[in-house]
Amino acid sequence: MLSIRDFVQTLVLLNLGGLAVFFGIMLFVAKGRRNIVLALRSLWLHKLRSFLSVLGIIVGTAAVIALMAFGEGSMQDALEDIKRQGATNVIVRSVKPPDNSTSQKRTFVVAYGLTRQDHERFLTINSVVQSVPMRIFPQEVRRLHRMVLGRVVGTTADYQKVNKIDIAKGRFLLDADNYEDEGADNYMRNVAVLGSDIAHQLFPFEDPVGQTVVLQSQHYVVVGVLADRMPTGGSGGSQAAEDFNKDVYIPLRTCWARYGSRIFVRQSGSRSAEQVELHQVTLTISDMDKVRGAGDAIRDQLEQNHAKQDWAVTVPLDRLEEAERAKNRYTLLLVLIASISLMVGGIGIMNIMLATVTERTREIGIRRALGAKRKDITLQFLLEAMVQTAGGGLLGLGLGLTAVYGIPWAYTQFTDKTLPAQIVQMSIFLALAVAVDVGILFGWYPARRASRLDPIEALRHE
Amino acid sequence: MAAVAKVIDLVKNYYLEAVVVRALRGVTLTVNQGDFVALMGPSGSGKSTLLNLLGCLDRPTSGQYFLGDQDVSEMDDDHLSEIRSRYLGFVFQSYNLLPQYTVVENIEVPLVYQGGRLDESTRAHCIRMAELVGLGERLDHRPMQLSGGQQQRVAIARALVNSPHVILADEPTGNLDSKTSDEIMVLLTRLNQQGKTIIMVTHENDIAAWARRVVHMRDGHIESEQKNPPRPLPELKGSLAVAIGDWPELKRL
Ligand SMILES: Nc1ncnc2c1ncn2[C@@H]1O[C@H](COP(=O)(O)OP(=O)(O)O)[C@@H](O)[C@H]1O
Ligand SMILES: [Mg+2]
Repeated sequence: MLSIRDFVQTLVLLNLGGLAVFFGIMLFVAKGRRNIVLALRSLWLHKLRSFLSVLGIIVGTAAVIALMAFGEGSMQDALEDIKRQGATNVIVRSVKPPDNSTSQKRTFVVAYGLTRQDHERFLTINSVVQSVPMRIFPQEVRRLHRMVLGRVVGTTADYQKVNKIDIAKGRFLLDADNYEDEGADNYMRNVAVLGSDIAHQLFPFEDPVGQTVVLQSQHYVVVGVLADRMPTGGSGGSQAAEDFNKDVYIPLRTCWARYGSRIFVRQSGSRSAEQVELHQVTLTISDMDKVRGAGDAIRDQLEQNHAKQDWAVTVPLDRLEEAERAKNRYTLLLVLIASISLMVGGIGIMNIMLATVTERTREIGIRRALGAKRKDITLQFLLEAMVQTAGGGLLGLGLGLTAVYGIPWAYTQFTDKTLPAQIVQMSIFLALAVAVDVGILFGWYPARRASRLDPIEALRHE
Repeated sequence: MAAVAKVIDLVKNYYLEAVVVRALRGVTLTVNQGDFVALMGPSGSGKSTLLNLLGCLDRPTSGQYFLGDQDVSEMDDDHLSEIRSRYLGFVFQSYNLLPQYTVVENIEVPLVYQGGRLDESTRAHCIRMAELVGLGERLDHRPMQLSGGQQQRVAIARALVNSPHVILADEPTGNLDSKTSDEIMVLLTRLNQQGKTIIMVTHENDIAAWARRVVHMRDGHIESEQKNPPRPLPELKGSLAVAIGDWPELKRL
């Protein structure tokens, strides 16, 4: 796919280079300038007609530029999202298996998901350079009389690196918070790092760092507050969108010690309990090329060790390819639309050029009598077609750029959502080159026909 | 005197669907340097056909045509275009100016196809041509803004701009009233007096009377030929008269 892209790019650049050289020479040489001016004058003689006949070209080039910008915009959007999740990451999550025993579900404590052994096994895979285990569950977070429903994330210091999060105040969890020996100062400390939302809600007027929050009657010292974080997922991913700003991060070890293996969750009035050791493990792979292999290895391990399908593996890189495929499909569709509209535009040009040639038969006869060679006549009409479509291309460029900036603006005005658009430089070159090419392609036949007219008959033409 | 144009046994047939029109049936004619020839004859006698062949706008079915010392009867289209642009000037019955161009620009057209540069000096040359025919004040006018006589004068200036060996005129006064016709004929006569070779088609005796040689054609043949004595030029009025009065002894027009 990449080679085809390169090939097309080279072709476009060569094409454009050729045209640039052509117009450059035309503009540099006095005679060429004169010819262009005369072509413009002939077109100006029939302003409306010239404009209408290049309408197809205008719409075609505008469509190419605008649609490519929107395609690229959403592609960049997806890419950005993937980058936030980490292109070299593999995300393994616990998934509650479908419940078979419907009659007794209230009394059961559902045990499922990833275990510590799973996590250790992941680390045996060579390409895994980093792993962040997590326990994630909803929880009420209290501070004096205030209470917010947040999300506890029990994890390790590496969480910060993997998710590239910014600290607004204080610090994130440290390795020492998790791995200190029994009896040491840090051992199973009750420390917490707050998401921006929760920090703001619990501590509207004071600095949270150094204060305490309460999770299930345990006091935790707030050691840091995170900066605002963009939610991930949502757009086309297999994961649901996540809001990180209501997270409370505590050391994983502390989490296990304080909550034990069972977690009680209150949801819409009913209480349920689940027994999950780890909700998610985010693994970082050494190399982009090894990500998929690592993903497969992890799947194999889990398939061997889990009787139920209580896990899921997400490889963000897959989404990149998915996004790329979507973009390619989109591009193909675009090429089709653009081809059709340029084709129609080209036929419009040809039609008008044929009419022009008939109308100016006598002029052709006069020029031939005064010494014009056939190729002079061909060039004259071809140049007229080219100047016309080049003008159409430029107008189309203007229209396209207006659309690229105008449509997202209007969209935001009316819907409060953003429409990502990113102008692709290549599309501008492509659109202009193709517009002029259409002029050459469809102007060729009328121009040639003009040059083949018999001078005497042409002179006699009324 | 040197022969400028020489045709030998020229034949031109038009092949239509069912019939062959034999427009020229073996014409032999020599036009010398400085000649002023009128081709006369009834309609359909082949005058225009001969003039078009002399003008290198067409190729003969058979026969030879020497322009200067070049045999042009076998030349290809590009070569003929080259000959037209270097050695020939045309004046048509219906003026045939380009309506979108100004007077100077119209005069400039033959130079465009000569392949040389167009610059201030060529532009000055075109302006001088316009002045020669008394249109120095109307350089930027369009053909639509000029009278028929003026348009024909632009056409003559255009025919002169490439210093042609021969000027070919097909019924140059056909669309003009008699007074304006006289103007054009005086102009052509003066050019001939300066040494220009002119071949003109006409079916009017009055007009043919201006020429030095009159060649009568009938059914694709040259029937007879007569010589006219030189005649005094009538008095002219207006811009053309002033212009012609100012003409220097033109060596190279
Ligand atoms: N393109 C042509 N196709 C067929 N016949 C032609 C063509 N041009 C001229 N002719 C015929 O050739 C003959 C001579 O025509 P032309 O030279 O135009 O005559 P003139 O100018 O003396 O009136 C006429 O019979 C005319 O019908
Ligand atoms: Mg005729």
